[in-house]
Amino acid sequence: MIAVLGLVIGVVVGLFVQPEVPDAVVPYLPIAVVAALDAVFGGVRAMLDGIFNDKVFIVSFLSNVVVAALIVFLGDQLGVGSQLSTGVVVVLGIRIFSNAAAIRRHVFRA
Amino acid sequence: MSLLTNVMDHSLDEGYAEAAAARGGEHDSRIPRTLRGLLTLGAGLALVGAVVTVGAVNAHKAEPTLAKERDALIHRINDSNGTADHLQKEVQDLRRKVEDTQQQALPSGDAGAAGLTDQVGLGEVTGPGVKLVLEDAAGTGSGGNVDPRAGQGFSNSGRLRDRDLQLVVNGLWGSGAEAVSINGQRLTALSAIRAAGEAVLVDNRPLVPPYNIQAIGDGPKLLSAFENDMAGQYLRLLEEKYGIKSTLSAQKSLTLPAAVGVTLRTAQPVTPEPSPTPTPTPSGGSSTGPGGTPSGGSGTAESPGASVSPSVTRSVPTAKRRPTSGSAKTTTGTGAARP
Repeated sequence: MIAVLGLVIGVVVGLFVQPEVPDAVVPYLPIAVVAALDAVFGGVRAMLDGIFNDKVFIVSFLSNVVVAALIVFLGDQLGVGSQLSTGVVVVLGIRIFSNAAAIRRHVFRA
Repeated sequence: MSLLTNVMDHSLDEGYAEAAAARGGEHDSRIPRTLRGLLTLGAGLALVGAVVTVGAVNAHKAEPTLAKERDALIHRINDSNGTADHLQKEVQDLRRKVEDTQQQALPSGDAGAAGLTDQVGLGEVTGPGVKLVLEDAAGTGSGGNVDPRAGQGFSNSGRLRDRDLQLVVNGLWGSGAEAVSINGQRLTALSAIRAAGEAVLVDNRPLVPPYNIQAIGDGPKLLSAFENDMAGQYLRLLEEKYGIKSTLSAQKSLTLPAAVGVTLRTAQPVTPEPSPTPTPTPSGGSSTGPGGTPSGGSGTAESPGASVSPSVTRSVPTAKRRPTSGSAKTTTGTGAARP
């Protein structure tokens, strides 16, 4: 209940407060979103596996977002930003897909 | 490969398994039971929601900005186009003024030069003639929206090429046309029709299809002569084989503009000089004028109709062969007038 409430609050805050994202951070936002989605899917799968841990979830989410943004930032400084962000998206995408598959197996037993 | 397999196998954060193992039981908890745990989870999910929403909102916000930038660019292009049009008009006005002044400076008795202006393309001409509209075949991406960098080249056979236009224009001259213009650009004896990349150029100015070719001459006679000419048959062939549309019609009255970039090159003083020294032709005024190189290679529309053959005029140091009776001569090319 509290979890769903938290999610709703997050969405509402994002929609209505519309925080000004600093221009320096804007390029890393999409990557951060993908990393956040990866953490969410991982958490849901862990929950269905029965090994969910809130601390692990929070830490993995934060570190995912920060590391993904950092990698892309580093790539930008080295002139390979787009390639590195492609790499990050590929890796995270694979993880999201296999986690989604595991969730599907749990839910539909297929 | 092993890297990809690794990513596939360990899609779940290993922290979960470790934490579960540390707690002892494998399946001890599905969701946190304590209030603190629930609050942490709620806060985490709130953060997730916020990040995803902000990302989405940001992407949406960027859209109007891009559109605005685009609009600003379009506005600038339109502005510049307007300025260019204005300048073009100014150029035309000034050119007319120069021409008038030139005519005044030339000896009034010399009707020859004045009479030639129409034929060499220096003056605006009005009269009956034929109008020929050529259009690329449908579905060739034409109509002014041709992307010159699309890279198809002229491989697409439904498009008109420079040599098609050359052939048609030469056919018109051959059929008795006295003046010809393409898309409002008057052709002189030195005009070049050629291709650069995707575009057909007349005197180095790109043309946009459809090609509107106007020729002054005896309307119906010119029309039938052209149709029976090789060029007319060629056009029919193009229509049959490639779907290139051509519309030929006789017109009661056509007005062709004066050619641009044509300069009076040599003229002589009215008073006869004692020694028949030739007026030196300005060195710059040989073959490369703004009218394009007249050399045949890339295709020149030569005019059998024009009575002044520029190749002859250019090669002759004019004064030697002609009596210095205060005549002036109009030729095409660059150079200066010497009163």
